[in-house]
Amino acid sequence: MTPERDEVSGELTTGHEWNGIKELNTPIPKVFRIWLWGSIAICVVYWLLYPAWPFVSDYTKGVLGYSSRLDVQEKVADGRAFRAESFAPFETTDVTTLSEDPDLQARYEPAAQVLYRDNCSVCHGRDLQGQESFPNLTDGHWLWSSTPEEIEYTLQVGINTTHQDTRYAEMPAFGRDEMLAAAEISDVTDYVLQISGQPHDATAAARGEDLFAENCSGCHNDGGVGGLESGAPSLTDEAWIYGKGPDAILETLKNGRAGVMPSWSTRLSPAEIKLLTLYVLWAGEGDAKQ
Amino acid sequence: MTRQSEILLTLTAVLCVLVLGIAILGWGVDTGYVLHGWIIAIAAGWGAMYLINRLTDPSPDIPLEYKDDVIKWGVLACFVWGVIGFTIGDLLAWQLAFPSLNGDMSWSNFGRIRPIHTTSVIFGFGGNALLATSFYVVQRTSRARLSSETLPWLVFGGYNLFVVLAVTGYPLGITQSKEYAEPEWYADLILLFTWVAYLLLYMRTLARRAEPHIYVANWYYLGFIVVIAMLHVVNNLSVPVSISYAKSYPLFAGVQDAMTQWWYGHNAVGFLLTAGFLGMMYYFLPKAVGRPIYSYRMSILGFWGITFLYLWAGSHHLHYTALPDWVQYLGMTMSIILLVPSWGSVFNGILTLNGAWDKVRTDPAVRFMMVAVLFYGLTTFEGSFMAIRPVNTLSHYTDWTVGHVHAGALGWVAFITFGAMYKMVPWLWKRESMYSLRLEAWHFWLALTGTLIYVGAMWNSGITQSLMWQTYDPNGAFTYAFIDTVDAMRPYYIARAIGGLLYLIGALIGSYNIYMTVAGPRLRGADKLALPLARPAE
Repeated sequence: MTPERDEVSGELTTGHEWNGIKELNTPIPKVFRIWLWGSIAICVVYWLLYPAWPFVSDYTKGVLGYSSRLDVQEKVADGRAFRAESFAPFETTDVTTLSEDPDLQARYEPAAQVLYRDNCSVCHGRDLQGQESFPNLTDGHWLWSSTPEEIEYTLQVGINTTHQDTRYAEMPAFGRDEMLAAAEISDVTDYVLQISGQPHDATAAARGEDLFAENCSGCHNDGGVGGLESGAPSLTDEAWIYGKGPDAILETLKNGRAGVMPSWSTRLSPAEIKLLTLYVLWAGEGDAKQ
Repeated sequence: MTRQSEILLTLTAVLCVLVLGIAILGWGVDTGYVLHGWIIAIAAGWGAMYLINRLTDPSPDIPLEYKDDVIKWGVLACFVWGVIGFTIGDLLAWQLAFPSLNGDMSWSNFGRIRPIHTTSVIFGFGGNALLATSFYVVQRTSRARLSSETLPWLVFGGYNLFVVLAVTGYPLGITQSKEYAEPEWYADLILLFTWVAYLLLYMRTLARRAEPHIYVANWYYLGFIVVIAMLHVVNNLSVPVSISYAKSYPLFAGVQDAMTQWWYGHNAVGFLLTAGFLGMMYYFLPKAVGRPIYSYRMSILGFWGITFLYLWAGSHHLHYTALPDWVQYLGMTMSIILLVPSWGSVFNGILTLNGAWDKVRTDPAVRFMMVAVLFYGLTTFEGSFMAIRPVNTLSHYTDWTVGHVHAGALGWVAFITFGAMYKMVPWLWKRESMYSLRLEAWHFWLALTGTLIYVGAMWNSGITQSLMWQTYDPNGAFTYAFIDTVDAMRPYYIARAIGGLLYLIGALIGSYNIYMTVAGPRLRGADKLALPLARPAE
């Protein structure tokens, strides 16, 4: 077939036809030629400036001498230096002294909050109120003392972790390990209900009192008031990590508890751990003020 | 090749697959793997029996018409996989907005069913659309019947067997964890057999053509077949642990493995989702509007530009990683030049409409194709832009990437497919027209609205999260915790899920329309042009 002129565009066809489809022989618009060569030119500039083309065992380095490895190392070092400066108090001062400085909260609480949310909020909640199996951090009840350095220590070594200095606390499984009989566990449950001011069977609780004194008071203190700062909570207050009520208490007595708080010393810097310690203290104070 | 020897050759290939299936079901240990052995053995066994029967049949008279039966099955498979893929995609979108929708079972969680979505839409929907239209186009533009009576079935059957093995394996945890190349070694082997058959079939059909020149659509389809063969083989080079397990280990490790994977991943986009569908555009768009292609020269620029440049560009998926700088810069610069031939194809498509713009108003199928080309232009611009390293610091690892992919997949790939299908189905089944133009228009507007909501939501979400990640307070500490950036995504995730739902509803309407067309009355009288040219016996 010979090329023919298309009436709409005025261009010639190529003279081919496939199943009724023809092609025009329109030249490539000038703008496309300019654009193509312009793009190539830009790329040539890039190739001259930056690493680009390989040889057998080496490559063109580019006149800027750019290396993303060096670039990122430099940026990381700069960022670190800047943060070291702006977090200077946390690098050098101990946590007790820091906790007595009233000016820190306004400046550092936003950063502490981000750190908390990224690392702690999954278990303790964004509002620090905890959830079942994870303690509330704002209620003023402390298993391991409320002093800044003890909180810092808990953050560092964790509870029931593999850290060599870990805090260790375990509620024994009195039922599963057959340390107490089922009837005895039931009696102790009623006693715990009694001292925590919940509905209970008074006769059973009376039987449970002796059992409690023999088996439980070593950790939970006489009368279950806690306060020994050894990881065993008071059983007379409103703070219940694993739930109040007969079912939860019975379950705890039967199968025990051994909650884990991770050790953060390998994951966060000492300054960050101090910041988080203060954040927890600030949150508790805020709560107390309300 | 004689008919007899061709069937024998095909039979040998099918028997190899049968042996593979029997070995897997016999030696396999894990349930899912053994199940796959049974699926392979049953499919290959059935195929072998069919071929043995053909062997003893008397040589049939091959009619002087195009071989269209297998194409009809391709259209059917395309829509079935499409609906499955869109449904699961939207389910995933809702899971992201409301994580508890993951069902709390291992097989129903996001990580296991996401690849079902990607495989169903890319390989199930897109792949079958390409198989069907490539068979349709190569015959018409060559005026030759497909070169074989049995191979097209082997290609169609083997390919869909591969997709079935892929999507049934994921919920059971069978994956090699390479994006878009998840299926394990045995499924990859089956695809390899299939793909070699596809390449042979396509080239032999082209060799039989009655036209002096090869039409541009066939360049693209052939480019797609050749490059996918190369990508599939290289990225799936791996060593199975043993015949008893589905697990295998890749030949490459570390950054080499990452580079191979994204060379594959980027060119699966470049040659399956781009070149293949450009082939579709180059036939169905001029055919539907009755206008010549705007410029043959632009076709050449587009084809060779895309074919040459895409293969360099994969490294832009690995900016600011352990990949050496020179690979990153080379990939980035090639991506910049790549925009020129990509937009060359866009202009070639859009300007082909000159003299027939009224059809955009009156024919929803043409509207689908026109908007598809515009989305192709948008997506390729975005792609080249995101490939620039400093831009990538903003876009990488964010939802912007997800939005970019879906602008391409929903807006370009699926739109051009729907447009082509609305033209091809009535031609293929010899119907007067589609069952309902109104439903076609409904499909179009639902799909367009859904796509715009989806892509808009992901642009907002991606840029928002990226900026939140990069915001520091005056002390040099992060302003936002990661969870804050997740919170900020929620409205966009809900919007995305709604957009996806609209898209799915559109596709269901489209499927119904296709079904009613196929079930409707047949056109009387055949089109004389629609026949292969009679040729002397070979």
